[in-house]
Amino acid sequence: MFHQPITIEEALNLRNELGADATVINGGTDVVVAMNHGALKPQCFIDLSRLTSLRKNREDDGSLILGAGTTFAMMGRSHLRALREASLSVGGPAIRNVGTLGGNIATASPAGDGCVALLAMNADVQLTSAERGERWIPLVDFFIDYRKTALAGDELITAVRVPKDPQSRWYKIGKRGAVNISLVCCAVSRNANGKIGLAFGCVGPMPITTPKAASLLNGDPLTPELIDDVANLVAQEVRPIDDHRGSATYRRAMCKTLVKRLLTDLHAGDQKGDADA
Amino acid sequence: MPDPSSPIPVEIPTTQVSCRVNGAEISRTVPVDTPLLAFLRDVLGLTGTKGACLEGECGSCTVLVDGVTVNSCLMLAAQANDRNITTIEGLAVGSELDVIQDSFIETGAAQCGYCTPGLIMSARALLNDQPDISEDELLTAMEGNICRCTGYASIIQAVKRAHRESQSP
Repeated sequence: MFHQPITIEEALNLRNELGADATVINGGTDVVVAMNHGALKPQCFIDLSRLTSLRKNREDDGSLILGAGTTFAMMGRSHLRALREASLSVGGPAIRNVGTLGGNIATASPAGDGCVALLAMNADVQLTSAERGERWIPLVDFFIDYRKTALAGDELITAVRVPKDPQSRWYKIGKRGAVNISLVCCAVSRNANGKIGLAFGCVGPMPITTPKAASLLNGDPLTPELIDDVANLVAQEVRPIDDHRGSATYRRAMCKTLVKRLLTDLHAGDQKGDADA
Repeated sequence: MPDPSSPIPVEIPTTQVSCRVNGAEISRTVPVDTPLLAFLRDVLGLTGTKGACLEGECGSCTVLVDGVTVNSCLMLAAQANDRNITTIEGLAVGSELDVIQDSFIETGAAQCGYCTPGLIMSARALLNDQPDISEDELLTAMEGNICRCTGYASIIQAVKRAHRESQSP
């Protein structure tokens, strides 16, 4: 069966009714790859690509709420610098035209570039079910383990909430300039209240934060000494593995380098009085 | 006796796909898991669109869906319901080639030719969208298409020529 709901209520009812029997699809840029590889053989789909309401973004009390159907192409025009740069680094234009925020989160790949930017911003994710309504949880708690998430069988990811105007930086190291899977990816963000978030991709079983290192950043000025201390702790806290893309040693060293570079850049922005330039 | 180790064959349910392909109304019943690429090539016989990596890395399967580039290997045919699909076969009008096709010939931008339809569709979307195109915009629009004959310089030249030609009165 191929279900193509046009309202969110219809989609939630289908999800409630069909649960694990139906594969949820939107842009298809993860689901159909898995099908093409023979890893997934769905016989029933719930296609969310007609839910225009899921593509809407709105402001709410100092926060920005992004619909889960927001595409990478749309996020590539975001004023949130880390999210914009991360989104534009994903795939090529044809991927960005259809790949979605909700899909990136649901896939929970350790290399999910969008997820890393959002984690640094302390994003929350909205999960909705037909029977229990909606719940918000911190994105960091959504990722449980390698491709394991907190999404219940009757829920859909419906939105993501981020602070409205955080300062943020993002960088990824990969092997080529485009259609480039991350080897290491790092994002830093500072909210209006001065709280700094750090997040990393490809150095753990899922996109991760480094809470110990972040706890050193409690509002003090970003001096070179403090940044060094944070970078050293980051290198201890990340859990990279060796694989065909790069060694754990290299990844660990690059996390240290990237977090130092991005925090230094954030600090340089402070000095210029234009922190997000 | 059937081989007990082989998986039980599963009958994949079918669904009706109705869309417009290169201006023609099309309606076919296909298995629900049919990618748009297979629908175009195997069901409709439009073999100009190529498949290679099947994971969105190479761009050889690029088509336009409602004017926007899509990797047809990663979209299901059923998702194309009610949409307007344009493939490489839909660009020429009779024997009159599209300006981009013409430019690819003029600049020698096709070598083995396998990536060419995808490249031309990406270029088509770019030229449809923007009257003014910077070097950066051009490179970004083409970044999802890989050419393994390493003919990028002539490809970029071809797109620039097509852009110039379509601007001139």
